[in-house]
Amino acid sequence: MADTLPVLAQPLIAGDKSLARVTEDVCRPMERRPGALWWLAFLAAASLLAVGVAASGYQIATGIGTWGLNNTVGWAFDITNFVFWIGIGHAGTLISAILFLLRQRWRTSVNRSAEAMTLFAVICAGIFPVIHMGRPWLAYWIFPYPNFRGPLWINFRSPLAWDAFAISTYFIISLTFWYIGLIPDLATARDRWKPGLRRKLFEIFSLGWDGSYRTWHRYEMVYLLLAGLATPLVVSVHTIVSWDFATSVIPGWHATIFPPYFVAGAIFSGMAMVLTLVIVARKVMNLEDYITVRHIETMSKLVIATSGMVALAYATEFFTAQYSGNHYEQFAFLNRALGPFAWAYWIMTACNVAVPQLLWFRKIRANVAVVFLISILVNVGMWFERFVIIVTSLHRDYLPSNWANYRPTNIEIATLAGSFGLFFTLFLLFCRFLPVIAIGEVKGVLSYGRSHAPGSDRKVAA
Amino acid sequence: MAKRYWKSLAERESAGQRSAAPEFAGTPLQVEAGRDRRGFLRAAGFTFAGAFLTACRQAPVNKAAPYLVQPEGITPGRATYYASTCAACPAGCGLLVKTRDGRPIKLEGNPDHPLSRGGLCAVGQALILGLYDSLRLKQPQARGKPATWDEVDRALAAEFETIRKNGGAVRFLSGTVASPTVRAAIARFLASFREAKHVEYDALSCSAILDAHEQTHGARLLPRYRFDRAEVIVSFDADFLGTWISPVEFTAGYSAGRRPEAGCFSWHAQIEPRMSLTGTKADRRIIVAPGEIGPMLSELAAGMESGAPGGGVTGELAKRLMDARGRSLVISGVQDVSAQAACNRINHLLGNYGATLDVEHPCYQRTGNDREVENLLRDAAAGKLAAVIVWGANPVYDLPGGEALARVPLVVSLGERMDETAAVAHYVCPDRHPLESWGDAEPASGVVGLRQPVIQPLGDTRPALESLAAWSGAPKPAYETLREQWREQVFPRQSAEKDFEAFWERSVQDGFARVEPRGVKVQPRDLSASAPDREASKAGDFDLVLYAKPGMLDGRHAYNPWLQELPDPVSKVTWDNYACLAPATAQRLGVAQGDVVRIDACGKSLELPVVIQPGQHERVVAVALGYGAKCSERFAKVRPLWLGGRSNVGANGLVGVNAAPLAAFDGGLLRYHCAAAVAKTGKKHDLACAQDHHTLSVPKKLAPSSGRTRPIVQEVALEEIGKLPPPSRGPHLELWPPDHPYTGRRWAMTVDLTACTGCSACVIACQVENNVPVAGKDEVRRSREMHWMRIDRYYSGPPEAPEVAHQPMFCQQCEHAPCETVCPVLATVHSEEGLNQQVYNRCVGTRYCANNCPYKARRFNWFEYAREDKLANMVLNPDVTVRSRGVMEKCTFCVQRIQEAKIEAKREGRRLKDGEIQTACQQSCPAQAIVFGDLNDPKSRVSLLMRSKRRYRVLEETNVRPSAGYLKLVRNRPAGKEDEHRG
Repeated sequence: MADTLPVLAQPLIAGDKSLARVTEDVCRPMERRPGALWWLAFLAAASLLAVGVAASGYQIATGIGTWGLNNTVGWAFDITNFVFWIGIGHAGTLISAILFLLRQRWRTSVNRSAEAMTLFAVICAGIFPVIHMGRPWLAYWIFPYPNFRGPLWINFRSPLAWDAFAISTYFIISLTFWYIGLIPDLATARDRWKPGLRRKLFEIFSLGWDGSYRTWHRYEMVYLLLAGLATPLVVSVHTIVSWDFATSVIPGWHATIFPPYFVAGAIFSGMAMVLTLVIVARKVMNLEDYITVRHIETMSKLVIATSGMVALAYATEFFTAQYSGNHYEQFAFLNRALGPFAWAYWIMTACNVAVPQLLWFRKIRANVAVVFLISILVNVGMWFERFVIIVTSLHRDYLPSNWANYRPTNIEIATLAGSFGLFFTLFLLFCRFLPVIAIGEVKGVLSYGRSHAPGSDRKVAA
Repeated sequence: MAKRYWKSLAERESAGQRSAAPEFAGTPLQVEAGRDRRGFLRAAGFTFAGAFLTACRQAPVNKAAPYLVQPEGITPGRATYYASTCAACPAGCGLLVKTRDGRPIKLEGNPDHPLSRGGLCAVGQALILGLYDSLRLKQPQARGKPATWDEVDRALAAEFETIRKNGGAVRFLSGTVASPTVRAAIARFLASFREAKHVEYDALSCSAILDAHEQTHGARLLPRYRFDRAEVIVSFDADFLGTWISPVEFTAGYSAGRRPEAGCFSWHAQIEPRMSLTGTKADRRIIVAPGEIGPMLSELAAGMESGAPGGGVTGELAKRLMDARGRSLVISGVQDVSAQAACNRINHLLGNYGATLDVEHPCYQRTGNDREVENLLRDAAAGKLAAVIVWGANPVYDLPGGEALARVPLVVSLGERMDETAAVAHYVCPDRHPLESWGDAEPASGVVGLRQPVIQPLGDTRPALESLAAWSGAPKPAYETLREQWREQVFPRQSAEKDFEAFWERSVQDGFARVEPRGVKVQPRDLSASAPDREASKAGDFDLVLYAKPGMLDGRHAYNPWLQELPDPVSKVTWDNYACLAPATAQRLGVAQGDVVRIDACGKSLELPVVIQPGQHERVVAVALGYGAKCSERFAKVRPLWLGGRSNVGANGLVGVNAAPLAAFDGGLLRYHCAAAVAKTGKKHDLACAQDHHTLSVPKKLAPSSGRTRPIVQEVALEEIGKLPPPSRGPHLELWPPDHPYTGRRWAMTVDLTACTGCSACVIACQVENNVPVAGKDEVRRSREMHWMRIDRYYSGPPEAPEVAHQPMFCQQCEHAPCETVCPVLATVHSEEGLNQQVYNRCVGTRYCANNCPYKARRFNWFEYAREDKLANMVLNPDVTVRSRGVMEKCTFCVQRIQEAKIEAKREGRRLKDGEIQTACQQSCPAQAIVFGDLNDPKSRVSLLMRSKRRYRVLEETNVRPSAGYLKLVRNRPAGKEDEHRG
């Protein structure tokens, strides 16, 4: 019956779930012991994390020289990873905040995990500006705290200083938004738990939620305000990050297209990462009725839209360079496509421009396995996009005597692996201990597209 | 009862009672660690604080004792300068030694010195590190074991006695002895032996020139070359700006004759088989095989003699030379007497003798005699010698067949370090370092330099003069010997001072004395020498050419990490020697840069990595001398020790490979070229090259439509200077009010690309002055060299015959500095006087500033660079912070010197004078290519040069407004060829 109904009238949640059933489906993975698959994934992620911690520790103790950077290429893996992870986070905030304000009800199945993904991505991202410093133990100097040394303030004209504000603001607001959204679900979990440490924690963190009308009303108000507050961050944070490059004088960096280009790219890669995560999570945790193929299709549409924006930005850069007649600018782009790092450039173009074109076809959008593969390739492509922007622009700039090569060291690769380890460790822990779907919000859209109200003539599931 | 004192009425009243509270309550010693919570916290707090404080290792407490009696003339914090004479090579340039707290920290050229005129080359600048070398011998060695001077003297006295009785042959083998005092002392020592001889040799020999003058002028001498008087200079393989005889003196003269604004510009032709430093400056460069130089010289001589110069290259040269009779100079570095004789003939025909060449007042900077040293080695190998004493030379290392010395029954070395010769010596009697010694030198007839010690000797060493005196049976301190010599031989040669003591005092203060030249009677003899035969075609496809690098010379300074890390001015490779091959040759052989080849020549074989050298003759494989020295063993661990780090030394445990065995004695002369075969080995070697891209043009396949070549170095032909537009005065319209009004002084610097020869003296001078660390070979390989001042070398034109430009590059102190806006913590700011200031203690090391610098002038401390050697740390300049890891550094326009001068002027209540502040690079430059000063003073030299039509700024179009201006490179050749020669 589902495929004869118009799209708007299709139920968002499949399987004709009752309200009690929703609670049961989402809370069950938290309550039972994790399976072998979770343990395997967790051990793999934790080992990567351990490798990353060891590599970072060695690098902090010995010096940035343990990376492959040099006098010409002062940033490579470090800032690539930073921008990569921060970009990923933006999709979560888009889903949580912007799609909320736009009343896209389908977001309710994925917004919790997307916002969790954002938090973990921001954590991973935030590590890099600290460890990439030559003297990371003085990282707090980036913040303008009152002092008696003048007082000595920071350089407010520096994009890195704006980064410090942007990332910390982003983290705080994301955390707040995610946490506030979690409160009703934590209360649900609290009510289901037998007494013990877990129940005590749920009690503390659900802040005495009583489910009354007044509480719900206030909750909805706060949620709306936070969504409003988080919405501009989707655009502003990555705009500021893009200014790390756009405000410089280096050809290949010095471009006004960067803010929209980066924001589009962030949503692009974030959406792909959400797809990667939820495609696996829905299968393993039996949540296919909640995160349906329709959700996946809709997110794929966002992917192709942003892929188009990114492709347009690439074309604009080339046009600008050619039109400018500026030798250095023109050379920067020719060097990208045909120089020593051309291999990275073409991986980027293939993964970001060519591969997502497959998503135009409905058959492919509905094929979850193919979408999974595409989402991984998109993230590979987006990582290489940042790598190409940073390294190719730096390694051959104005004075040919400075032209240098760049090769990552094992320490850098281990640190990148470690960031993935951290991300997946946190996400796996999230899946284990917290409700991955916003129970309250999903219940609110259960009636969408159904001919009868949820739970009306159904028995409450055991 | 003892008188009792009370402090207060209350105390008095309570007299007799013990006061309740102990008088010194509250000291840590009496913290009450009671058993209650408060007591526990107190104890814990103290323990934690104590542990924390004792763990703080920021400022270890050293013992500091004040002077009991203040030494006269020493103010702590103010430097004292002493004049002296450099001993890094036999050229004998004048020195000013800057000392702080009783030790030298910097060497400068003496601007009053008539030869060097204030310049000091890279090797001279680096000499100071040799003083603080912890691997210098600290005491004499007898038969491999440390000994005292008494023991050694007694042993040697016995040995010498035996030799005298048996009539054994004794040789004193040294390098060029520039010092008349030492020469006299050696003669005195040898006089007691029946069969004794003082043999001098130079590893970089000019014996052919000396022999040729004996043939043509009746006296074995080296003329004094006056490049400043020459309008046409033709050099046949003489690297006079880099390594030949006296590069500082010659550079000063050469650049004095090439000042377009002063209306003079010489024409310089270089005929050579490989790209030498001098070749990079030539207006006309002719690439020939080594065997063709001799015939060319004789052809030129014949042509000029007959008055019909003919056509071709020799015709062109002859015409130019004949147009400048008496104002031209023809020189040659070829080790062939008939070629040198032809050269003499040419100069004679041109009337250059007495004008640009002075044989009546010759120079004594090279006095080596290859024939004599060859005989010495032959005698040593045949066992005919009883003793050889070696001083100021390392014959076992730098002579082919030098190992024969090991056969001599008694070898005494007076070397400073355990080099190859000292290793075979039975007795090593280490000489003092030149900075610890009294001495003299007469580099040119009539100019006698003095050398004075500027530090107490750091080890139990003894000056050579004293050792010689002791062994001559009349022990005397070196100071006495020197003064005696001066009183008897030098003082009488002048008439300005009547009193010897006054003369002595003034000479010590000046560092030199001008006296009557030691006149030499010359009689031009048979100047129509026979033409050298065209060298018989050799077996082998290649000609091996051995040469010296300006930064390493003959290897006597191979212990010096600064010189090892100095990029060679032409190849830009560090920490290695290599086989230079022409691009076409490399392609033919199928090798790329870094591939290892085997060179078989003179019956010996070497394996070296290839470096592609544009502008080299296709038959030539060129290898530098001075590498593979024992002294470079120490570098195995001088680098950041981390997982991925690699050693500075090669598989042989040394830096580079010793190529000296491939030289050969031929007809009484040390020959530096021979036939060779070159073969691939298939091995690879990672060279540490400081520059990877060598032209100003981008690769062809990446060429944008707006053009291939970048106007970083701008050139102009001599005849087109008049057509140059006036220099740009910056933007006329500004959106923003000026950030920096510069109401007071405004510091600026100009670099004359025409004068700069690329010698890299400025690089080392900056390193010494600013405590720039040595990073090591692996770091240079990873493009992390630390030099604040670097010289970029660009080729242009066809690879087989390129033109070369050198461009010193440093922080341009931009007015609109891109680095200043992006530093998040304000570690780089702009001063009121125009300097871009790097605040080391604020820097957290984000490296955005370095990324944003279009000149890439910034240097990051990637590791904590090695500073464990406490003795070497004595060379650090106390006025400049030593940077820790994680901190960015860069050229500061020697802000410490600026501040010092400003404070001094303020103290004296006067204005700063133009030229009072000299940056380290400026001060050392032998060509005076760098000028620094106040741009707000319209009469300062830098202002004048900034207004010159030749002045441009690098990357002016980015609007960063650098404070550094460059004067366009002028080439004395027809215009219009620039377009051809644009990469």
